[in-house]
Amino acid sequence: MYRYDALDKEFLADRVSEFRHQVTRRLAGEITEDQFKPLRLMNGLYLQLHAYMLRIAIPYGTLNPAQLRKLAEVARTYDKGYGHFTTRTNLQFHWIKLRDAPDILASLAEVDLHAIQTSGNCIRNTTADPYAGATAEELDDPRVWAEVIRQWSTLHPEFSFLPRKFKIAVTASVKDRTAARTHDIGLALRRGRDGALGFEVMVGGGLGRSPHIGSTIREHLPAGRLLSYLQAILRVYNRHGRRDNKFKARVKILVASLGAEEFGRQVEAEWAQIDPASADLPDTELARIRGFFAPAGFEVLPAVSAKLEAAKAADPALARFLRNNVHPHKASGYAIVDIALKTPGETPGDATAEQMETVADLAERYSQGEARVTHEQNLVLPHVRLDDLPAVHEALKAVGLASANANLISDIIACPGLDYCALANARAIPIAQHIAQRFADQDVAEDIGELKIKISGCINACGHHHVGHIGILGVDKKGEEFYQLTLGGSGAEDAEVGKILGPAIHASRVTDAIDDLVAVYLRERQPGERFLDTYRRTGIAPFKEAVYAEVH
Amino acid sequence: MKALTANRLADGEVVFWSHGRWVERFGQAELFEDDAPAGEAEAKAKSQPTVVVEPYLIEVAPIEDGVAPVAYRERLRALGPTNTPDHGKQAEGGHDVELIAKAAGAARSGGRVNLIKR
Ligand code: SF4
Repeated sequence: MYRYDALDKEFLADRVSEFRHQVTRRLAGEITEDQFKPLRLMNGLYLQLHAYMLRIAIPYGTLNPAQLRKLAEVARTYDKGYGHFTTRTNLQFHWIKLRDAPDILASLAEVDLHAIQTSGNCIRNTTADPYAGATAEELDDPRVWAEVIRQWSTLHPEFSFLPRKFKIAVTASVKDRTAARTHDIGLALRRGRDGALGFEVMVGGGLGRSPHIGSTIREHLPAGRLLSYLQAILRVYNRHGRRDNKFKARVKILVASLGAEEFGRQVEAEWAQIDPASADLPDTELARIRGFFAPAGFEVLPAVSAKLEAAKAADPALARFLRNNVHPHKASGYAIVDIALKTPGETPGDATAEQMETVADLAERYSQGEARVTHEQNLVLPHVRLDDLPAVHEALKAVGLASANANLISDIIACPGLDYCALANARAIPIAQHIAQRFADQDVAEDIGELKIKISGCINACGHHHVGHIGILGVDKKGEEFYQLTLGGSGAEDAEVGKILGPAIHASRVTDAIDDLVAVYLRERQPGERFLDTYRRTGIAPFKEAVYAEVH
Repeated sequence: MKALTANRLADGEVVFWSHGRWVERFGQAELFEDDAPAGEAEAKAKSQPTVVVEPYLIEVAPIEDGVAPVAYRERLRALGPTNTPDHGKQAEGGHDVELIAKAAGAARSGGRVNLIKR
C-alpha cells in the first residue's frame, strides 16, 4: 500500500500542532465556538449527542496491521473500547473528548492516518473496490487510481471550497462493490475497442434528500487523462453549483437541471481548455504510485486445498462461512474473506479494540499485511491461502467475528441514527438489531439469499436506504419514531433508487413488515431469483398488499 | 416546564443547568415552571462559552413519579445510546435514569420496548 514520504509526515505533524494550538485557544476562550467549529470540522471532529465524534479517513478503505492496531489503541485509550466503520469506509469514534483530540491525531499520524477532508465542502475519501488487487474480475488495480485522486485532491486549493461535499468512487470490475453510481463521480475502468484502458465517467449520483443515479457522461476516457477530466468536471460544478441553497448544492442537482448531456458538453468544452501537460499525471509519477500497489507475490498453489476440504467436511460452521463469506481470488489456492461486522444483535459496523487487533494479526499473518473496509460496513482479508482458512475462521470465531452472513438479510447497513447522530430523526441501529435477530437462523437466511437491507436515521441517507433492496428511513412523526420503507433499490452495477412502499410505519411494525416482504418473495420467487429480481418482475403491488393489508 | 441543557466544551458530556452550575444528571437539573427564569438561566449559560457549547432549553413534562424530557432525542441524551446500555449516563443506573427509561418505554407505545436491547 501507499507509504507517506518525509514531506507527508512533516505536513501531518504540522497540522496536528496547529490543531493543538487551536484547541488550546478555544478552551482558553481566545476564539469563539463560531470561529472554532469550522477548524475542528476540518480535522474531522464533530459534536454529537453524547460527546464529540472523530471521523478518521481510511483512504479507499485500505488498512495495514499497524494502522488497525493504532485504531484499537485509540479506541481503548480515548474511547469506550470500540470504533464504528461507516458507509464511506471511514472509522468513527463516538466518545471523544475535545481536550484529547490533538493527542489522538498525533497518535494516528504515527501510522499515516488523519481526519483531514472527512468533513466540509471538499473532495472526501475516495471509495475503491474492497477486492482490489485480489479479484480476477478487475482490469486494473483501482487503488492506484484512488491514490492518484487522493494525492491530487488533498488540500487542492481550487477544490477546498466547493458548493458542497464531493465523493468519488473507482471500480475496475463489472460487479460494482463501490456503489459507484451513487457517488458524485463514479469511475469504472473499462477497455476500449482498441484494448486501451480508460474510464467510464458517471456523474451526478448521490443519495440524501433528492436521490439520483449517476449518468454516464463519457464512455471511455483515456486513463492517463483522468486528472484533467476530473478538473474539468469540478470546474463546471464550482462555477454553476448552487451555493445559495444547501439542498440544491450537490452536483447531482446541477447535472439533473442541465441534463447529463449538456453537463457533459460543458465538461468537454472546459476540458479542451486545459493543458494536459500541466494537469495530467506524468507517466513516471503514475508508475511510481503503481509501484506501491505491485501485485503481492502469490505462491503457486493447487486450486483445491485438501486441508481445507477436510476441515470443511468436519465443521459445518466453517462450511457455512466458506459458502457465504469466502470469494474466489485471482491466484489459484487463495481466497478473499469477508469479515461481516454484523453478528445478529450487535451494532452494524462496530468493532471492538480486541476485534481490530485480531484482524490486524490475521492480516499480518495470513493476508499479506492487508485489510480492507467495505461501504457495507464490513472488513475484508483480501489474500488468504485456502490452507489457512480454517485457522482464520477459528481466530475470527474466538472474537465474535465469524458471522457467516455476508450479503444475507442480516448483513444490514445502518447509520448511527438517533442513538448518536445530532441530525437524526429516528434510530437505525436498534431496527437493524431487531431485524437481524429475527432472521438469525442461518438456514432461513441462506434460503432467502442475497438481500440488502439499508437503514438511515434521516433523509441524509448515510445508511444508503435509497439503494437497499429494502430501504428503511427513519422519520419523526409527532415525536415518535416511524419508518418509511422503499423497495427495489440497488447500489450495484444495476443501480436504481428504490420506490416508496407506502405510508411510514411505526417502529414496532418494522420487523414484521420485513417478514411480510420476505414471505411475498418466498411465495413468488422463481428458481434462481434474488429478492431484487422477484421484485423487478412482479412490481411493488404484492409487496405493498402484504405490508398494508394487515394495517387496515 | 423546561430545563436547560448543553454539551460541555472540554469533553462533550451532556450537562444540565442547576442553580448556577452544570450537573451531569437530568435528575439533578433545575426545572423551570416559568419562561422568565428559564430565559435568564439560558442567558447566563450563553455567557459561559468556555464551559459549554450551544446551551438550549428543552421541554420537560411530568410522568409517573417524576419528570422526563418530552422529546425522544432529549431522553436519549439524558440516558445514552440504546444499543449500548453500558455506555453513557444510563450505565450508572439510579432512580432518575430508570424513570426516564421507563418514560421512554411508555412513550413508545405499540410494543416498541422490544427494540431496546437491555
Ligand atoms: S443518515 Fe442522518 S441520522 Fe444517519 S448518520 Fe446520516 S445524518 Fe445521521
